[in-house]
Amino acid sequence: MRAFITIAINTFRETIRNKVLYNILLAAGVVLFLSMSFGDLSIFSRVQVMADFGLTTMSITGLLLAVFIGVGMLGKEISSKTIYMVVTKPVSREAFITGKFAGLFVILVLNLILVGLVFLLSIHVLGSAIKFKLGWAVLLIIMEMGVMVSASLFFSTFSTPTLAAIFTIGFYICGHLNDLVGIGAEQKNNLLWSGALKVIYYMLPNLEHFNIRTQVVYNLGIPQGYIFTAVCYGVLYIALFLILSIMFFSEKDL
Amino acid sequence: MNVIELRNVSKFYRKDFWAPRVSAVTELTISVKKGVITGFVGPNGAGKTTTIKMIMGLIKPSEGKVTICGKDAFLPASRNGVAYLCEQPYLYAHLTVFETLKFAADLLALPPKSIADEIKRVLSIVELSEKSNMKVKELSKGMQQRLTMASALLGDPQILILDEPMSGMDPPGRRLFRQLFNDLGNKGKTIFFSTHVLDDIESVCDEVIVLSKGKLVFSGEVKTLLGRGFLGTEMVVSELKEQDIPILMQYGCVMGDSDGDQQHLFLPATCDLLKVQNFLFEKQTVLLSINRRAKSMEELLYHNSDAGVL
Repeated sequence: MRAFITIAINTFRETIRNKVLYNILLAAGVVLFLSMSFGDLSIFSRVQVMADFGLTTMSITGLLLAVFIGVGMLGKEISSKTIYMVVTKPVSREAFITGKFAGLFVILVLNLILVGLVFLLSIHVLGSAIKFKLGWAVLLIIMEMGVMVSASLFFSTFSTPTLAAIFTIGFYICGHLNDLVGIGAEQKNNLLWSGALKVIYYMLPNLEHFNIRTQVVYNLGIPQGYIFTAVCYGVLYIALFLILSIMFFSEKDL
Repeated sequence: MNVIELRNVSKFYRKDFWAPRVSAVTELTISVKKGVITGFVGPNGAGKTTTIKMIMGLIKPSEGKVTICGKDAFLPASRNGVAYLCEQPYLYAHLTVFETLKFAADLLALPPKSIADEIKRVLSIVELSEKSNMKVKELSKGMQQRLTMASALLGDPQILILDEPMSGMDPPGRRLFRQLFNDLGNKGKTIFFSTHVLDDIESVCDEVIVLSKGKLVFSGEVKTLLGRGFLGTEMVVSELKEQDIPILMQYGCVMGDSDGDQQHLFLPATCDLLKVQNFLFEKQTVLLSINRRAKSMEELLYHNSDAGVL
């Protein structure tokens, strides 16, 4: 347990001292600021546009953090061999992977909270009441990014940082298009084609489960128990990716 | 008692998916005794680093078994009381010297109350006490290697596994490390270290393991290895009588120069030294000097056979 905490703290400290983090945060701040003026260009209310833009910005910020910091973290440790400092001690590889994930996830949560606060402040400045539903939307974005970080760690265990980054972005895109794959599977008459699409549909996580932007922006109802189910869905995927990462990483020659 | 054991260990690699299997280490069986400083030598590509990585659980052997104190080397528990130092200092650049050692001490699960004192102790051993607050990236390579050594000494490990620890170090750094190895050896620590510098083997090690092309070539005491390079004995004696020379030649002696009242003799390793000495004593010949002629370890390891090693 102590090794896990030590690795998590070191990962947190390393990321906090990484300039990429601040560049991404700065970009997110600028986009949020600009979104305040985009409302005038839309037929919808400024607050609606702002909410939509803000939540999307948070999701993209999380993705960028997961890709640039998450992917680089493990790949860099392996290529620069700083990993030797850890795994040559009586520390299990499980503790290394879970510690890395914990450190990255904490930093991601803190960043999303920071961006979220800027976002809520912007809404407040526009003179609109802050809806409770926004909190749920942020929570689900955090869960989605947890899945993304665990996926980026998983891809890093068996590929180069560049490939892992490509896989992670591809995973994000596929995860959000998964609904379309499901619809395609239903509509195809060809059994083989339909079967193949169904396999892809069930293999890939559906990241749209973490997207309640429409419900928040247009003030639509969220089904009872949806948030809890989505959080459980995220936790299960995180656990699955971490288990797979540990399995791959335990066999890896360093 | 053996603390490190490798039994029929082989490691195969593929450069890419379709490439044939290449052997880095083949059926290697070696052991390292407790409390002994064992050198590990061999030319580049002999498989030394692969072997050390297998001992440290960084890579899995394709065949065979590696154990430390009876525990499988791939298990984290096998690394309790084991320190590792590699050729290059692989450190986190964002940490300071103190933070690096604190990080290592936490990973070793040292008692939190004793960590500050322990860090002070190891920093003073490697003469880095003044640099405690410096960032790792601000240190020279030699200093980084000293920091890695300090990290290895945390918690007073019983076994030290060192992969070319003095590579790229300046002379004062090398002297410090050599002295440190001797001190640790005197304290009964087990040290297993690979090196290219054969002087280090002669001056520091009790035993030596020699590897070539992934196979064991020699394992035993340094003096046994050096004994293999014994060529013979050189003698300088007072002037010999004419009739004694054929008898000495019969014993296998090779006559050297004769300058005035001195005669140089060479007795090859196959020659019976005692017999020659007795003969010279009977003839009341004065022995002016006697010297051992032997190959250096470098000659023994790298210039002696078709294979290049031994």
